[in-house]
Amino acid sequence: MTTEQKPVFELRNISKSYGSVQALTDVSFKAYAGQVIGLVGDNGAGKSSLIKTISGVHNPDSGQLFVDGVERHWKSPHDSMEAGIETLYQDSGLAPDLTIGSNVFLGREKMRKGLLGKLGFVDQKSMEKEALDELQKVGITVPASKRTVTQLSGGQRQAVAIGRAVLWAKHVIILDEPTNHLGARQSQEVLKVIEAAKQQGLCVLFISHTLPHVLQVTDRIIVLRLGKIVRDSPTSEYTVESLLGTITGLAEAQK
Amino acid sequence: MSTSPTETPTTSTPEVKKQGWVRSLASNQQFILLAVLVLLIAFFAERNSLFFSTQEFGNLISDFCGLALLAVAETYVITSGGIDLSVGSTVAFSGICGAYTVQYAMEHHVGQVGVLLLGTLACVLTGAFVGAVNAFLITKVNLVPFVATLVTLSSGAGLALVFAKGGQEVGLDPSAVTFSAEGIGMFAWISIIVIVITAVLGLVLHNTRYGRYNFAIGSNDFAARAAGINVKRHVASVYVLAGILAGLTGMFFFIKGGGGAATTGIGAELNAIAAVVIGGASLQGGVGRLSGTVLGAMILTVVVDGLIFINVAPTWNQVVVAAFIALAATLQTIRPQSRR
Repeated sequence: MTTEQKPVFELRNISKSYGSVQALTDVSFKAYAGQVIGLVGDNGAGKSSLIKTISGVHNPDSGQLFVDGVERHWKSPHDSMEAGIETLYQDSGLAPDLTIGSNVFLGREKMRKGLLGKLGFVDQKSMEKEALDELQKVGITVPASKRTVTQLSGGQRQAVAIGRAVLWAKHVIILDEPTNHLGARQSQEVLKVIEAAKQQGLCVLFISHTLPHVLQVTDRIIVLRLGKIVRDSPTSEYTVESLLGTITGLAEAQK
Repeated sequence: MSTSPTETPTTSTPEVKKQGWVRSLASNQQFILLAVLVLLIAFFAERNSLFFSTQEFGNLISDFCGLALLAVAETYVITSGGIDLSVGSTVAFSGICGAYTVQYAMEHHVGQVGVLLLGTLACVLTGAFVGAVNAFLITKVNLVPFVATLVTLSSGAGLALVFAKGGQEVGLDPSAVTFSAEGIGMFAWISIIVIVITAVLGLVLHNTRYGRYNFAIGSNDFAARAAGINVKRHVASVYVLAGILAGLTGMFFFIKGGGGAATTGIGAELNAIAAVVIGGASLQGGVGRLSGTVLGAMILTVVVDGLIFINVAPTWNQVVVAAFIALAATLQTIRPQSRR
């Protein structure tokens, strides 16, 4: 990553308060294509507020947001999706009773050709096939016998959910605690997909409390505390201990 | 959960095999429903040969059609994760409104076709209005569907009584009764219309984007919203659709009976919900097939009609229907793909 490279995404002086609670204060950072950025902080540090601002769930009180060099204002999460930002919230995931193809194409269905398509008929066959092909490209192999999401394991579900975000995102994917509730091996499956997203030139914002995962998969880690960025450094400069110290504020206190 | 492609090796003890066989058949709900339907018809026909007659089949088709659209409405609502208790009283309410419209139209000599079309329009509009009230209470006032539709269940039934001035028949139209008997063979025209609407809505539910959104919302409304689906608008449209189908059922009974009565359709929502449950849909939403609902409605119709042929008093109807619901619900619990 060179300094003259254009940031794919940038926040400038973003502030947000809920009533008397100052959730975010002057948050600024630039994010580049092919970069995995860890976003860590204690509960209440402002991680959720920051994600919601980026994905258009709510608007900041002040500050600017740029995607691909253009300043943007979101009216709804739909706007940020259109601009190439995909967000995977902790509980949003997938619709468990739908097939994998229906989930991958949910909200962006492929329609039948001709009159049937105009009448709203979906092309289920090609959605199922294309979904599996595309997931394969980011290293997710779904057993052919598994059709609905209910039949998948927790790790496979999360991998499919992230794979879906990777397929549709043009610039940024935001992953909120994607390895929560997953076992060790399942978490590794998920981290592999993040690696694949990076290879495709996407910027990944990875929010997690599991610090070893963050250190394993990110290029850079931003630490939030009480709504402010307290540290933004390459991952190689952190250890689990120093990261934990920065999150809790003990690192500075000891100096 | 395992990432290895090999399936777990199956031990070939007879017990395991037997369970696998039962499970795979139990998973094919459609097959079981069809088998139950055929067995029921065979049972009643064996006990009373009159049951297996053209005339009785005509009755069965007609009775099925009185339930079909309500069951379709309930399938849409339940798979979207809701419930609509108001469809039965909407049948009564819209039937009364349709009856007054027919009465008015006859007084102004619009002709038979015009009278029926105006009556149908009045029923559809009344149903759509009740559906819109449900939609408003659910998506704007944020009442849960059970409470919202309980409100319209009561008020619809009440208004039907008020409008009918205490329950007398209104808008008597003998020509409607004549029309209700016309058709092709065992199928009356009004039944053919109901069957066509049912088939079209089955196609819509399982093959179009609208149907897909319905299941997505019933399965995980948060995921649906995150995928950019306008969940509130969709949910609102489902309740309006249910209201319209109830309105059409109101007209169906008006034509069959040649008049509107404030008691027509009261309680029918329970049979409609029963048909959906017997058909294999999950009351939690996201799971169900319209073909299952149709088979469920057929089974209910055959049972209720058949009891008369084996000299069981119609007062037992509710009990037998309840037994079928219990049976269907039990079947669901042994399905292999039940949610975790």
